[in-house]
Amino acid sequence: MSTAAATIDHHHDASTSTGIPNKKLLMWAFLASDCMFFGCLISTHLIYRLHPPPGTLPAKQVFSIELTSFSTFILLMSSLMMALAVNAIQKGNLKSLRWSLLTTILFGCIFLGCQVYEFREFVFVKHLTITNSILGTTFFTLTGTHGLHVLIGVIWLSSMLIYSFTGRLSEKDAIDVESMGLYWHFVDIVWIVIFTAVYLLEYL
Amino acid sequence: MSAPAEPVVPSPSGPSDHNVVEQGKFWIYIQIAMLLAVITGLELVTVYLPFLKWLLVTVLVVLSTVKFMFVIFYFMHLRWDKAFCTILFFIGLVLAGGTMWALLQLFGADASKPLSSAMAEAPAALVQAA
Repeated sequence: MSTAAATIDHHHDASTSTGIPNKKLLMWAFLASDCMFFGCLISTHLIYRLHPPPGTLPAKQVFSIELTSFSTFILLMSSLMMALAVNAIQKGNLKSLRWSLLTTILFGCIFLGCQVYEFREFVFVKHLTITNSILGTTFFTLTGTHGLHVLIGVIWLSSMLIYSFTGRLSEKDAIDVESMGLYWHFVDIVWIVIFTAVYLLEYL
Repeated sequence: MSAPAEPVVPSPSGPSDHNVVEQGKFWIYIQIAMLLAVITGLELVTVYLPFLKWLLVTVLVVLSTVKFMFVIFYFMHLRWDKAFCTILFFIGLVLAGGTMWALLQLFGADASKPLSSAMAEAPAALVQAA
């Protein structure tokens, strides 16, 4: 552990009027607004689930709980690796940071792969598309938007991993990694809600 | 906006306490990740239990909320950050939750039932009445 780690307080910033690093404050404000965005998408899905039009395919026949549970587990583990990455940069341990980022990217890619497989199955095997039913429209819009967030996160993580090899990333830049971590954990908590509200409720 | 750069100051509790917290976080993260995996397993088991639907829905909501809270307070550091971050995030969360609740109440009412669904249910209701 470097000596600077003993003096840097990564949770408070005396140079700002709020005592919170500006980048962190910005990220929390963005995440609060994104809560409302996903809240509306989840509500829309649940509302149309209340009154499905006649002839709608039961969602239970379409969903694969095994695949979704695996995706959930993968995303939870990616959150753990992201937390370890933030912990590593706060201690100035670049080697550990790189491994943690790489594992997070890998888990993110596995999650995206599962989602692509799931979408493919729904469209080509179960004939559920974004245009042929309300379930398809709300489901693909919601999970697709979440998937897009994961993809953006993977690109951001990859950029940070590459940047860490330039030699310009150090312990004092921990806030950049932490902001990215906040975004990634947010993607995880949105999935926690989607997993229950969209998938598990169909099995009751 | 940031003021001109100032020297980094240690936390009020002192550098040694701060270090102990930072060192302990590694194991806290591991334990929480394991706990989250176990809760996900419990959620899966719950949907197959032969209990009343409202009870199972309540259990699922509680378990998801526990997972949600563990992630935001530990993985997202809200537990160690200034309270303002928590307040800011919860403003968004409460607005989102309130909007969801209001929409579900509005569209859950009989008067807001789509005509196509209402018509599909009508013959079944007539048979039951007869």
